[in-house]
Amino acid sequence: MQKLQIPVETQTLANGLRVVISPEHTAPVVTVGVYYNIGFRLEPRGRSGFAHLFEHMMFQGSENAGKMVHIKLVNSSGGVLNGSTRYDVTNYFEAVPSNALERVMWLEADRMRALRVDEENLRNQRDVVKEEVRMNVFNQPYGGFPWLDLPPIANRNWANAHNFYGDFSDLDAATLDDVQNFFKTYYSPNNAVLLLLGDVEPEEGFSLARRHFEPIPAGPPVPAADVSEPPQTEERRGEVEEKFGTLPAMAIGYHAPARRSPDWHAAAILDQALHGGRAGRIYRSLALEKEIAVDTEGGIHYPLGDVFDYNGPIQMVTRILHKPEHSSEGTLQAFDRVIAEVQEHALGADELEQVKIKFRSDFYSSIEGGMGGYMPRFGLMHHLACFTLFDNDPTLLNSALDGFLEVTPEQVQSLAQRMLVPQNRAVVFRRPVAKSATAPAEAAIEGAA
Amino acid sequence: MAAEVAAPISPATPRLGPERPVVWPARHAATLSCGLPVVLVELHNIPKLTVQLLFRSGNAATAEANPGLADMTATVVRTGTATRSGRQIDQQLRRLGADLSTSAGTDSSAIAVSGLTEFARDLLALVSDLARNASFPAEEFERERRNAFEAVRIERTTPGFLAGERLRRVLFDAHPYGVVAPSEAQVEAYRREQLAEFYAAHYSPGNAVLLAVGDFSAPALLVQLEEAFHGWGASSAPEFREQDPPKLRGRRVHLVHLPGTVQTQILTGNRSIPRKHPDWLPLTLANSIFGGAFHSRLVANIREQKGYTYSPRSTAHGMRRLGYFSISAAVRNDVVAATLTEIFYELDRMRALAVSAEELADAQAYMSGVFSLGLATQDGLAGQLAGVYLNNLPEDTLETYREKIRALSGEEVLAAARSYLDSANTQIVVVGDEAQIGAQAALFGEVQVYDAQGNMRGPA
Repeated sequence: MQKLQIPVETQTLANGLRVVISPEHTAPVVTVGVYYNIGFRLEPRGRSGFAHLFEHMMFQGSENAGKMVHIKLVNSSGGVLNGSTRYDVTNYFEAVPSNALERVMWLEADRMRALRVDEENLRNQRDVVKEEVRMNVFNQPYGGFPWLDLPPIANRNWANAHNFYGDFSDLDAATLDDVQNFFKTYYSPNNAVLLLLGDVEPEEGFSLARRHFEPIPAGPPVPAADVSEPPQTEERRGEVEEKFGTLPAMAIGYHAPARRSPDWHAAAILDQALHGGRAGRIYRSLALEKEIAVDTEGGIHYPLGDVFDYNGPIQMVTRILHKPEHSSEGTLQAFDRVIAEVQEHALGADELEQVKIKFRSDFYSSIEGGMGGYMPRFGLMHHLACFTLFDNDPTLLNSALDGFLEVTPEQVQSLAQRMLVPQNRAVVFRRPVAKSATAPAEAAIEGAA
Repeated sequence: MAAEVAAPISPATPRLGPERPVVWPARHAATLSCGLPVVLVELHNIPKLTVQLLFRSGNAATAEANPGLADMTATVVRTGTATRSGRQIDQQLRRLGADLSTSAGTDSSAIAVSGLTEFARDLLALVSDLARNASFPAEEFERERRNAFEAVRIERTTPGFLAGERLRRVLFDAHPYGVVAPSEAQVEAYRREQLAEFYAAHYSPGNAVLLAVGDFSAPALLVQLEEAFHGWGASSAPEFREQDPPKLRGRRVHLVHLPGTVQTQILTGNRSIPRKHPDWLPLTLANSIFGGAFHSRLVANIREQKGYTYSPRSTAHGMRRLGYFSISAAVRNDVVAATLTEIFYELDRMRALAVSAEELADAQAYMSGVFSLGLATQDGLAGQLAGVYLNNLPEDTLETYREKIRALSGEEVLAAARSYLDSANTQIVVVGDEAQIGAQAALFGEVQVYDAQGNMRGPA
């Protein structure tokens, strides 16, 4: 097994902006990212969904690049762009032929320095976001399940428990003043990291960063926020109606160890043993052996992220769609038997070895790509950004695997016994409301062979 | 007017630097002794490799009698071979750090694996075993069929699926491309023997190509491939049977009624051309200007100016034998007519007026650049190669793509739009609540209403 040796160079500008460069010249393509240390956890109360709405506003115009200009200039340089909002970060990124590097850095600097938006832009993007929510949540089977359903049941601190996509009344209440205040509070160079990956010489990249970003004044320190969860003492449960889908579903979430805490490595290995594809214990038992579930998925920070990209309370989540002839309680009992197994018996040497190999392989893939292959080095950018914003050390990337590969069976078993307990979990049931037009046909199915 | 949405470009905008040439990774093509063509490309970005064994037969091959049978076959292929149980396969994959995907599309089936380079030999042996010795265990088949049955039921509550299914039926009717998924009853009717028959007839070296991209030495991997696939016997795939697609004249509205929906899925389309057609590149360039990119006319109009939708998109679909052009948008219920008005305005503008030199140059740069981005990852490169080899395109298709796109003229784009963005005969599919959108939809043509199972409800 070879050790990762990804080149990483870093500098901090006078205004506090951290710049991370990872050169690799095989293809004439460069990926540019700007990550801000603000996610939907910290959006203002009474403004649920605002961090994401604000992300849309960042594409609406800045002082030297008005409406659609940012998009047009990136596309017409031969590049693609997007942004996303997560628990603890909001990112903006472009992949372009490397001859467009300075143009893209100029565009990112312009919107970090001077966002210029008006009432018309805000009304337009509020409408766009509402259609995004309708499409992804209200008009889809299992829409928003479980990423919107579980947090309000599992958590007590508003930061972790509110509707991250936003109540429509809160989206309607958002004003241009809110936009500018949020920008001033969180979108300062000292609360961000700039990443340049691929076909860029570090000296040139740092020089361009100084030219375009260093004139941006530093902002005031970002206000301290308490995102901690009060201790949980008993299991929490909730129910949500499923308007379209025909199968009953449930999600189980256990509070997971803090990132880079002593149990973190064992948690990731436990997660892989439980949720790692068809060989994972949950799918193997519930879908393949007992044939209760039609599908199971899950993981730490599922389905929005992974074990590396959170910086506050997070859960290990399992999502189960099961056959209607099995009750919710029966399905949950079958899940609990899988959990009891990992508490009563340590992982065998062979299983632990397999799980570690797969974890290592998945990590390599996460570095290579992402976003369906069209955004080269998206994963590398994401790792480096999180190690910079959360740990102030992007070079942690090259040793990131080490701790996971040293985990022992005893550590996994001990963590399972402490973490996978009812008083540390929440369960949400998503129950179909409509009787489907077609009667359950398992009799016909079973008799057909 | 959508053209006014974009603000002017500042003179302070940095100019583009000199373009660096794209250096193509060396491609090694060979034919194994069993007759399987293989294409190998080294890409040493991570210590993994991707291997895709692709067969030129997909769901269209059985659409007439057994829709979805290729899909079902692919699903069950991974659950057992003569010497390995499904559980052993799943565990071995984990031991090799590998992900396996077995799937079928309209025109092809695939056994694709991505895993650690250090286990390349074992990965190839596994792919070979799945391609040659799948045993279709009865219990595994029954379980997967039940899961497919439940998946079909959920699909029929999904607006995007229902729209796509209806458009394909309307555009292709009795042609095999007219069916995209089985009904519940058709899933129930699958027999294990049918899967084995499809597998025997179509999973054959003469009907396949193998692509390998990743961190390996091509000559060494070629030796391992020969070892893994040595002795694989050939069979001949049955002849593909097809009927002519229908002649479509005039706009018609096809409303799939899904009660209680808070949004309407619009999907319009017309038949165009297959992937191998000489006009494919002008069509895709026209599509990029029309609605295939973030800065395109459609997105500027109905998203960035009017706020009707989050997700407008147009697509040129090039299949092996036929193709179609489509426009999709999920919109709030009260702007269905307004959105269709803008869609047809943009379609007619695209057909009536030449694109400006600036718009043409921007779109050429976009397509050329995005193409290069897709070559930087193992899966991205394998996907590009798959398009070439599954459609029997010329060997230099990828190498000449950028210069061909840049050589296209505004006249060629206009001609492609006039031929293949067929505004007058566009078929309009809307999936939503009839009570809320029926009257709006009827403004655009005669309405035929369907339920989610595909049953006609008679003219509204």
